[in-house]
Amino acid sequence: MLRAVAVSEPEAEVGERPELSVVVPLYNEEANVEPLVSAVRDALDTWDYELVLVDDGSRDATPKLLAEKAREDARIRPVYLARNYGQTTAMQAGFDAARGEIVVSMDGDLQNDPRDIPKLVATLRQGYDLVAGYRLRRQDKFITRKVPSFIANRLIRWVSGVPIRDNGCTLKAYRRSLLDRLFLYADMHRFIPAVAVGTTGARIAEVPVRHEARRFGTSKYGLSRIVKVLGDLMAVKMIRSFRDRPMLMFGVAAMAATVISGMLAGLWLDTILQLGSQHTNDLVFPAASLLFLSLACYLVMLGLIAEVALREARTEFGDVAPLVTEQVG
Amino acid sequence: MSRVTDAPGAATFDRPKTEPDERIVSILIPVTGEPDDLGALYREYSAPFRDQGTSFEFIFIAAPSCSMRIPELEPLIEAGEPVRGLVAQTVSEATLLRVGASAARGDAIITLPSFHRVQAPALLQLLQRLDEGADFVVARRWPRRDAWVNRVQAWVFHWITKTLRGDRLHDVSSGVHAMRRDVINDLPLYGDLFRFLPILALGAGFDVAEVNAPQHEADRRARLYKPGVYVRRLLDVIGLFFLVRFTEKPLRFFGLVGAGGLVSGSAILLLLFVERMLGRGVADRPLMIVGVLLLVLGVQALGLGLVGEIIVHLHIRRTRRYRLLGGPADRSTDRDNGSRETPPS
Repeated sequence: MLRAVAVSEPEAEVGERPELSVVVPLYNEEANVEPLVSAVRDALDTWDYELVLVDDGSRDATPKLLAEKAREDARIRPVYLARNYGQTTAMQAGFDAARGEIVVSMDGDLQNDPRDIPKLVATLRQGYDLVAGYRLRRQDKFITRKVPSFIANRLIRWVSGVPIRDNGCTLKAYRRSLLDRLFLYADMHRFIPAVAVGTTGARIAEVPVRHEARRFGTSKYGLSRIVKVLGDLMAVKMIRSFRDRPMLMFGVAAMAATVISGMLAGLWLDTILQLGSQHTNDLVFPAASLLFLSLACYLVMLGLIAEVALREARTEFGDVAPLVTEQVG
Repeated sequence: MSRVTDAPGAATFDRPKTEPDERIVSILIPVTGEPDDLGALYREYSAPFRDQGTSFEFIFIAAPSCSMRIPELEPLIEAGEPVRGLVAQTVSEATLLRVGASAARGDAIITLPSFHRVQAPALLQLLQRLDEGADFVVARRWPRRDAWVNRVQAWVFHWITKTLRGDRLHDVSSGVHAMRRDVINDLPLYGDLFRFLPILALGAGFDVAEVNAPQHEADRRARLYKPGVYVRRLLDVIGLFFLVRFTEKPLRFFGLVGAGGLVSGSAILLLLFVERMLGRGVADRPLMIVGVLLLVLGVQALGLGLVGEIIVHLHIRRTRRYRLLGGPADRSTDRDNGSRETPPS
């Protein structure tokens, strides 16, 4: 099941590394494989690229088609997942397999246009770690797709503070150095820019891309689950600061609880002083005060446990070095 | 004590094979509690495979408390039957199963409880459904003519699991399953989770199918356990619910609980504050303690969820949570042969 693997190391044979890797997760997309491959081929004709096609446990002819395509064209590298893991994991599998210094992710349903890739890559080379596409004139159903996505994007932007207009667009370009530090799990593919900024401090940019209506097959998503996304986002937002100094965070919270506890105790003493001891059998304030004091103790203990658990996590595997975004000289 | 022969039955029975396959089916039987006669179990459940000409092996894995039952297998082994008996130093049925799975040679694995649950021929249907493309097949005891005590228990148990999980399975606790070998290796098998193998498989994204298997007459006797057993079962269900849904996202669960506490606690305190402003005292009313308690619990749950989230975040990036295949040809029954554990990097 779970298996620890060493942090990805730089490749030995540099000669084999293409300039660019295009990663496409595919789930039951047999009708789209051929047009996708030729579209990428046409768009990147002059580039040194590889096309990593990830079959996410499709039950149709997708894996067979991928194998055929790979035989025809050495630039096509299929990756077959043992079963259907979902888009986030499929994407991560593709990123793990990609060898390019620049990696572009794309949808398998031809709603993205590979001709936009050069534009993304050019922007990335201006000094960004992640360039996200946003869909101009989106060709989707208004009520079921556009409205929820509008709300979700607004919320994601508001909560994460990452100014990205369109989180749902899969067309994105990444630097290898970012991908080595970015780990996608759960439903994180829904807000990769927020995760990238939140956990690694990546520099991001956005460029407009074309968007086409779905030609073949059916869409794999209905209404997005906004509440879940929100919870995940808050987690991502807090992870970066908590990860490095959990005791500090919990310590501050514990102090706040102690202060409240003290105030309640003060109110109680005040009542006694003013009204005399016949009112001391009102136990509400002392009880509330003690509850807050217990919260403070609990938070301190939780902070200690977090410190131990994270130390464990760091020393066991060795922490990944932070992303270096600026270099002078 | 352990021995395996290659083509059992095929030599003694002249029946032609229904399909020419080289497959071996491994039947795993964890032996715990008060098992039925192991020899009788073997004879009854091996008969359909023998008749069909399918190669099979039986592996009995006994917990230490049942180790004295293993000698029952010796006559079978001496007669050259494909039977093995193992004793594993664990009390967990799930671990017994894992021990069995690592000893198994078969590509298809069937698990059976150590007593008669379903009619033997149903096992072939399970296998057939596996060949039709399911990853995991669970036997539903149906038609079921059970003692009413059992039916009430089963109903309550399934009502709880259904409410928590919302799955469509009718009988997750039959203990009779068939699966490909790679499936069993992919499941988080430990503790008492053996009972919920189908739910674990569903949660892991496998294609789980259900096959009706007529209930065995011996399974109809009334079963009543000590209260402790029921408590443990309930805790298992709750643990499982968390494990399947929130392993990667603990904050989703704790955040929900925490937010609930925070919101209701704050509402109560706000109400009291408004009343206090209007002149009614709060010091003699326990409602304030309730409000504070809810608030405190909410903060505690949130903090716990946050710690869980950070631990998951730090650990998950060193683990690969997917398995790759060598190519589309692998996706037949012997899918495990060409699989690689790590992607080519």
